[in-house]
Amino acid sequence: MSDTLEHRSAEPAELSADQLLDAYRRMRTIRAFEDRVHEEFATGDIPGFVHLYAGEEASAVGICMHLDDGDTIASTHRGHGHCIAKGVDPKPMMAEIFGRRTGTCHGKGGSMHIADLSKGMLGANGIVGAGAPLACGRALAAKLAGNGEVCVVFFGDGASNQGTTLEALNLASVWQLPVIFVAENNGYAETTASSWSVAADNIADRADGFGMPGVIVDGFDFFAVWEVAREAVTRARRGDGPTLMEVKLTRYYGHFEGDQQTYRGDEVERARRDFDCLKWFRTRVTTNGMLDAAALDTIDAEAAALIDDAVAEARSAPLPGREDLETDVYATY
Amino acid sequence: MARKISYRQAINEALVQEMERDENVIVLGEDNAGGEGAPGERDAWGGVLGVTKGLYERFPGRVLDTPISESAFVGAAIGAATAGKRPVVELMFIDFMGVCFDQIYNQAAKFRYMFGGNAITPVVIRTMYGAGLRAAAQHSQALYSVFTHIPGLKVVLPATPYDAKGLLIQAIRDNDPVIFCEHKALYDTVGDVPVESYAIPFGEASIVRSGGDVSIVALGRMVAVASEAATELAGAGVDAEVIDLRTTSPMDTDTVLESVEKTGRLVVVDEAPPRCNIATDVAALVASQGFEHLQAPVQMVTAPHTPVPFSAALEDLYIPDPSRVVAAVKLAMEKGS
Amino acid sequence: MGSSAVGIVANPLAGRDVRRLVAQASVFPNSEKAKMIQRLLAALGAVGVTDAFVSTDVGGISAAVLRSLGPDPAAGRPEWPTVHFVELERYSSTAADTAELVGAMMGAGVGAIVCLGGDGTARAVAASCGDTPLLALSTGTNNVFPEVREATVAGLAAGLVAQGAVDATTVLERDARLEVIAHSRVETALVDVCLTRAASRGARALWDVGGLTELACVFARPDAIGLSSIPGLLCPVPRGAGHGVVLRLVPPRSAPAVVRAPIAPGLVVEVGVASWEHLHRGRPHMMGTGGGVVALDGEREIELDASERVQVRFCTDGPVRIDPSATLAEAAQRRLLCTLPAGAYGPGLPPSNDTP
Ligand SMILES: Cc1ncc(C[n+]2csc(CCOP(=O)(O)OP(=O)(O)O)c2C)c(N)n1
Ligand SMILES: [Mg+2]
Repeated sequence: MSDTLEHRSAEPAELSADQLLDAYRRMRTIRAFEDRVHEEFATGDIPGFVHLYAGEEASAVGICMHLDDGDTIASTHRGHGHCIAKGVDPKPMMAEIFGRRTGTCHGKGGSMHIADLSKGMLGANGIVGAGAPLACGRALAAKLAGNGEVCVVFFGDGASNQGTTLEALNLASVWQLPVIFVAENNGYAETTASSWSVAADNIADRADGFGMPGVIVDGFDFFAVWEVAREAVTRARRGDGPTLMEVKLTRYYGHFEGDQQTYRGDEVERARRDFDCLKWFRTRVTTNGMLDAAALDTIDAEAAALIDDAVAEARSAPLPGREDLETDVYATY
Repeated sequence: MARKISYRQAINEALVQEMERDENVIVLGEDNAGGEGAPGERDAWGGVLGVTKGLYERFPGRVLDTPISESAFVGAAIGAATAGKRPVVELMFIDFMGVCFDQIYNQAAKFRYMFGGNAITPVVIRTMYGAGLRAAAQHSQALYSVFTHIPGLKVVLPATPYDAKGLLIQAIRDNDPVIFCEHKALYDTVGDVPVESYAIPFGEASIVRSGGDVSIVALGRMVAVASEAATELAGAGVDAEVIDLRTTSPMDTDTVLESVEKTGRLVVVDEAPPRCNIATDVAALVASQGFEHLQAPVQMVTAPHTPVPFSAALEDLYIPDPSRVVAAVKLAMEKGS
Repeated sequence: MGSSAVGIVANPLAGRDVRRLVAQASVFPNSEKAKMIQRLLAALGAVGVTDAFVSTDVGGISAAVLRSLGPDPAAGRPEWPTVHFVELERYSSTAADTAELVGAMMGAGVGAIVCLGGDGTARAVAASCGDTPLLALSTGTNNVFPEVREATVAGLAAGLVAQGAVDATTVLERDARLEVIAHSRVETALVDVCLTRAASRGARALWDVGGLTELACVFARPDAIGLSSIPGLLCPVPRGAGHGVVLRLVPPRSAPAVVRAPIAPGLVVEVGVASWEHLHRGRPHMMGTGGGVVALDGEREIELDASERVQVRFCTDGPVRIDPSATLAEAAQRRLLCTLPAGAYGPGLPPSNDTP
């Protein structure tokens, strides 16, 4: 019958064993990276503002698993996880955080501005709410080129209140752009609770006002994020326009390194114990026989070794010098 | 009675004293108390670097945290100012002016003139600027020249705890919109500050050190850099006069011109990049109104024409330091003689 | 008998699942749930209920109800019952919250419970409300167990039932349910249980029938939305039939029977059915092996080990459901909501049954 809808996603409904291993490796690498940066920061050798993504891994990875190098992501100040999920090499990232010439941005950007355009990672961003308009631009270019590429913009609950974000949601809908808006609601913008600052029950509820679907997803569960993202990305590639996904999760560390977090309850302790995305993933794939624990243990060890190397290399890498100060600008005076 | 307190404490004290004096003074900004809606401590931060800490408890209902919506809440502060409030709104980093600039330069700055003198807008926008904390390209800029460019705004850059308190009190009492620029690397500097309330009028530069050989004009954090250079120069037999502009709008042109008339040489130290900054502005002032007194070309010590780099190795090269000031002074001394 | 207290449970999380993306499911805002509670309170007050126990949530529903109580919430509103907010020490944002809230209301002696949400919410409430009469109101277009009905009318019915003003035998119906026993847990479904080959619970809400292998339903109405519409259109089983139905599902291409079923709002899909049979009390049905996930009332809930099997049992001890139509019919017959001047009947006002 003609009005019968055979529902089909463009992508396979299930993950292969290789994909599962890949997903776990990305999540584990992010965790190892962030836990280590936390420790290194405490030594006083990492300068500046550092915002860690630990706890939120399932969001970045569940989404980026659907993206190719041609697809792009716009990130936030809390960008390390987005970078690794999108395939950026952790070693130059670590070097960048240590301010070395070998860093992704040659030491000029730092933690808040890591970018790797070759991987479609358009940059972490120091300006809250800056990503969404840029994502519209990338998506517009993809739409004009008709190449099926999509752009994902990650932003926080705090950024969801920024005019730039709200304007971009509207524009993306008006132009039917292939953008996936991912609101990572970790409950706080600095010290301010999202339950107070977001004057709607959920960020996803705002989607209605912008004429796009809004979905809430459990950000501790890789599989939940992965499934919703698959549909949102498929929809964007098909030319059906933008989607707003609200991913609910918790950040394990302070707003930035050094934050005493006196405003918080015990949600981190509980999340680490009961919902941790890595533990959850491991339990699921081992109890149903999709992967065996030994394979995951190997990845744990490899990720730890990779980060050890990254830190050692970063620490011994050269600093940028005077000759680097005035490069990459079109004019000097 | 004066005692030593920090730049941070001086600002906090000015806010306390003005809030006590005038109940129309309100304070608002992101996490200016902190912990709104959260399960733990309220007044958890007192602003990102703790400048407004304690006000929340002390002045119930008059310290407001905001969503991250600068256009809305900076604009709301401006709107409240037109209704007789004296809001002190915090724009956390001056770099964020981009997301709320219209409310500042097309709205607040214009009302008084555009409405034929019938409006006042007594708002203070406190904002943090400057390099030195490894905060990278979007959290380190010295954008005060952009505000200085706009008629209708007053722009204040305290260099010491004493000035921070007196200039903030003046800013709050002033009927025009004031951009109050706090250098993030100065918060922990300590100096003599009287306990009692006092206001420092705008448009009065301070002569930090008098001397007869060369005039060094500086502002904000660069005042300390210039002073350090002057001390070094004194050892080399050069008697430098150091002038702290304190406010770039209005600017005390008389003090600058009088000093150059006396010394015949001018070095300007500005943390901003070299084009269209305060250094070029002061140089133009002296070139056009004090040319006859100049014995040497004006020297400008500024940041390079680049965004602020992250790496400590680069940022230290970026920020003007005393040795560059000394070199510039030496050049000014050589050229004229 | 009878109690002058009613419990109201609203689920703040219902209504934002993946079906908004993959189908055209409606969005039910929490602000509307708060308004439904206010309408319930007005109705409860009108039939003399003195106390209402309202769940507290972190999604803004109870906060809106609190605001509606006016500047002095403790004083309340004269036309409403006294509103007691039932709070948990801690919220997990899972079904455990619902169970705990319901437990507290039962402890307070409520005579009826009204719940607002979808099948999942009703399931969580039903699992913990024992014999307390339940009226489940649907907040969305995706539900089989809860009814789509105006809250004011539901409030009148729940209030009358709670106070024992109507005859329980005619207005209450004991529903059947499915008990699902997996090795580590025992769960209840009010409408359907299915097994899908999915690797994980994924986005929870079940919307892709591709991986379905087995389906059991408590009842199956031809006009249902959701999985029970599959048997509903093929081999309907009315509520109260005394048995359920089990189906074995296969890809449409190789199926002897193919049903075009509305499995979610906006999603009418072809489902292949290999066989079906009735599910009787005392004769448990075994589902599974080879892993997969068991979905209860449309939510993927139980992740199975590769070797694990689940037992599905048809039980007749489900929740005691309030039938609002029957309740109000009886109220009309007994003139419970009318005041009549003694002995005087105006034109068009028929004499009541018990007046000669
Ligand atoms: C325009 C702008 N305003 C304020 C800030 C300061 N700031 C940095 S991060 C942050 C909180 C962001 O919260 P959210 O968007 O929820 O992201 P999260 O930190 O929780 O990941 C704030 C206020 C900024 N960087 N940019
Ligand atoms: Mg946040």
